[in-house]
Amino acid sequence: MELSEAAQGGLRLLAEPGRFSARAFAALLQAAFRSLLSGPAELDHPDLEHIDPAILKYCHAAATTCIVEAGKHRAEGAAISSYLEDCKFDKERMEQFCTEYQKNKDFLEVLLGSVGRCPLHVTDVSWRLEYQIKTNQLHKNYHPAYLMTLNVESSDSRSQPDLNFSCSMEQLQDLVGKLKDAAKSLERATQL
Amino acid sequence: MLLVLSEEHKEHLGFLTQVESSVVSEFGRIAMEFLRKGTNPKIYEGAARKLNVSSDTIQHGVEGLTYLLTESSKLMISEIDFQDTVLILGFSEGLNALLLQLYLDNRKEIRSILSELEPKLPSYHSLEWRLDVQLASRSLRQQIKPAVTLKLHLNQNGSQTTRILQTDPATLLHLIQQLEQALGEMKTNHCRRIVRNIK
Repeated sequence: MELSEAAQGGLRLLAEPGRFSARAFAALLQAAFRSLLSGPAELDHPDLEHIDPAILKYCHAAATTCIVEAGKHRAEGAAISSYLEDCKFDKERMEQFCTEYQKNKDFLEVLLGSVGRCPLHVTDVSWRLEYQIKTNQLHKNYHPAYLMTLNVESSDSRSQPDLNFSCSMEQLQDLVGKLKDAAKSLERATQL
Repeated sequence: MLLVLSEEHKEHLGFLTQVESSVVSEFGRIAMEFLRKGTNPKIYEGAARKLNVSSDTIQHGVEGLTYLLTESSKLMISEIDFQDTVLILGFSEGLNALLLQLYLDNRKEIRSILSELEPKLPSYHSLEWRLDVQLASRSLRQQIKPAVTLKLHLNQNGSQTTRILQTDPATLLHLIQQLEQALGEMKTNHCRRIVRNIK
């Protein structure tokens, strides 16, 4: 794990008991995780009130950078501790940081895994079966037809219009057959 | 079910009685050609010169025949009903037999041409798939994330479009299960009863 000079500097400030009391440290750590996992977090906790806002921002950025880097490399507790130790963290703060990290690790992984572009993700399918009888051009045109809706989701969390199409029974059989092939291959691949 | 022909239509078809049966066959061939590829007025002029009549007469003859064939095919009228329909025109037996043959020979193709005119939604054409495992990304190293990438080909307004989609193994199994239920639904008593009774 390697952080920029600026981030290291921020962490060193965060380690100073004279600048950040134990309660202020805890409040900032909480805010750092919250801002990553549940959207913007305000740095207006009462325990942080007496600290220079510029320093607060600086240290907040350093803490979040450290959390994201650790998550990105799937760093273990030991690796994080030794890094924080280099930044002059005392044992208690190191432990607090690691505990908080362990607690949020899984969410962090999901979050980091979802960053980046990927094709539209199919989440569900709806279908409707109809029996066609006639059209204005063609009578006695009896055949079943399916209307499909694929529900999709995009990684940038903007909602996407669902995908609609129709298919005959033969086409649906073709579609299911191909999906089953894929599922079978997937099963085989996981057994390797 | 008999076809009810308008007086105008009968008059247009009347021209067929004035020409040889080979010409009627030729008109039938032209009618089918026009249904497949669209009309070509030049052919009317050529035929009009050969038969020494106005090109309007030829056009009416061919169009009358086309209309007779498409209406009969659209309603899927039986052999006997077709014969009875043509009988009203008072044509010779030979001509009637010729028209019937023309109808029977081309009904299937005409119906398939007519079926292309129905209002359509984008429809399924085919599907390609690929299995992937995502191993790492800029923001997260050491991943093992299986994914199924799907390329869905659809027919839309006469041309093909493709959509690239992705899904995870659990959803894939769910999709298969849902679609199999959809297929199975057609075999239920409810659906069979409806299909049997709509005739």
